[in-house]
Amino acid sequence: MAQVELHDITKAFGATPVLRGLSLAIAAGELVSILGASGCGKTTLLRIIAGLEAVSGGRVIIGGRDVTAVAPEDRDIAMMFQSYALLPHLTVAENVRFPLRMRRRGGRREQDDAVQRALETVRLADLADRKPRQLSGGQQQRVALARAIVSQPQVLLLDEPLSNLDARLREDMQVELIDIHRRTGLTTILVTHDQDEALSLSDRVVLMNAGRIEQVGAPGEIYRHPATGFASSFLGSANLLPVQVDATRDGPVAQLADGQSVALAQGEARRGAATLVLRQEAVMLSRPDARPGPALRGQVEARVYLGSRTRYVVSIAGTRIRVLTTSDVRFERGEPVAIAIPPGDLRLVDAGS
Amino acid sequence: MVRGVPQAWRLGAMVFIALVALFMLGPLVVVAGASLSASQFIAFPPQGLSLRWYGEVLGSSAYVDAAWVSLQIATGVTLAATFVGGAAAIGLHRWRHAGADILAAAFLSPLVIPTIIYAIGLLMLWSQWFGQVSMLALGLGHTLIAIPYVVRTTLAVLATADPFLEEAARTMGAGPLERLAFVVVPQCLPGLAAGAFFAFNISFDEAVLSLFLRTPTLTTLPVHIYGTLEFSPDPSVAAASTILIGVTVVLMLLIDRILGLGRVASA
Repeated sequence: MAQVELHDITKAFGATPVLRGLSLAIAAGELVSILGASGCGKTTLLRIIAGLEAVSGGRVIIGGRDVTAVAPEDRDIAMMFQSYALLPHLTVAENVRFPLRMRRRGGRREQDDAVQRALETVRLADLADRKPRQLSGGQQQRVALARAIVSQPQVLLLDEPLSNLDARLREDMQVELIDIHRRTGLTTILVTHDQDEALSLSDRVVLMNAGRIEQVGAPGEIYRHPATGFASSFLGSANLLPVQVDATRDGPVAQLADGQSVALAQGEARRGAATLVLRQEAVMLSRPDARPGPALRGQVEARVYLGSRTRYVVSIAGTRIRVLTTSDVRFERGEPVAIAIPPGDLRLVDAGS
Repeated sequence: MVRGVPQAWRLGAMVFIALVALFMLGPLVVVAGASLSASQFIAFPPQGLSLRWYGEVLGSSAYVDAAWVSLQIATGVTLAATFVGGAAAIGLHRWRHAGADILAAAFLSPLVIPTIIYAIGLLMLWSQWFGQVSMLALGLGHTLIAIPYVVRTTLAVLATADPFLEEAARTMGAGPLERLAFVVVPQCLPGLAAGAFFAFNISFDEAVLSLFLRTPTLTTLPVHIYGTLEFSPDPSVAAASTILIGVTVVLMLLIDRILGLGRVASA
């Protein structure tokens, strides 16, 4: 377990920049997930930490040692590949032993014990003598995880570890990953495009966009207080409404394109063009006559029934927003609705960010 | 059975398959039958039944010596062609630079160059540089012909191999030689085995080069069979051929046992 520092990492493939100057410090024992859409450079960043990709600029420091120019086999890391990359000609136990054998860790007996412990950690001890192709996808994934933790690396790198599993197995493995991280205490960096995975697993989430870090923070913080429009729309599929912020006698208000306005908190100092962020589950819909208080007016454009919840598409001041509700009040397509937002859920970010 | 195909087409396909089988297996049946003849002449159906010609072949020092020469050369060729062809395939698979295509074409070119021209060239060159041809010359010639088969089968296996295995091995601490020994070569194994099988058969069966490079002491089994057929034909030729067929069948069964014929064939 060691601390990882990335100093101003840049990477270009030919003339195409992939990482544009990225710095990050990860504490020993921390579980950090790198979240972003495909093509944002998150996998390249992971491969750079592993040493599988050379940087164009910047430095990678693991456990206080500058490993920027060190080959992957000479870094004390372990990486779990999205495709698992199990060696097909070796048994489960031989696969898990492989890193110990290559790194010449301990004698035969100690290796046996370590393999046994790792397989028990992922609850696969009884399949030790099988070949990978005799295992299900979920079991192969556990073998890959056992192989990654067996050598107690300074850093554990996980590339989309749960993406190839079906929904049910994925939920089980999320719980298990948290548990394994707690027990092993390994510094872990996880790459994912799935915000639920990032938010549920990690101590901190690093949100990436177009080769840069957009925001870093604890899951609750990054979810409730997205710093930019991109962060808001990526996390929780928030709605973004362009507004004009003005001061009035009653305090600052955000005015929509059609003249409707929402009162903002008294302390809001921002003025001029801005973007109003509405998380889709924070918005409350009601019939216009049922709510006498201040509310925005909109019109229902579509309804999608999701079982425990219902999603509405509502047009408001020419912008379509998505609203997720658990209420059993049913609104029909074309119906006018009142849209209320609890004051604590009103957030402003820079226009166009 | 494929559905929706007209009856007439099916019938046609069956006739075609039957003809292919007839032309492939028919000669083997004729040779095997003729080898059982009790008479002095090669004839099918055999005249009288006897195993005497098998005895003649196994007791003839000419046949046994020729078989020994063939076996030695084929063994050497198998090892050399598998090593060179396998290494070339691994290299070609990863060497993604300009010129890789040209190099690949060069390694596969023995498939398209007429053997007879190559045989004449090798004979002239060897005689000029080293004098009398030897087992080494013939072995080298056979190796060159066999290499493309190993290259092809190994490249085919590598094309479907998981490209991330080697990177995964790197993250597990495996250096270049360890990756070669524990990851790359095991990945290539079915292709190498199939290539080795081809190489052995090609060398053991090869007649053109062996004919051009023959000397009184360097006569391979196919050349000896050909010579016997030409100058003193008797059923021993058929008996020797039948033994060859038997050896090939045994080899195929062995390969199937060890690696699975399906995997080798798909390579």
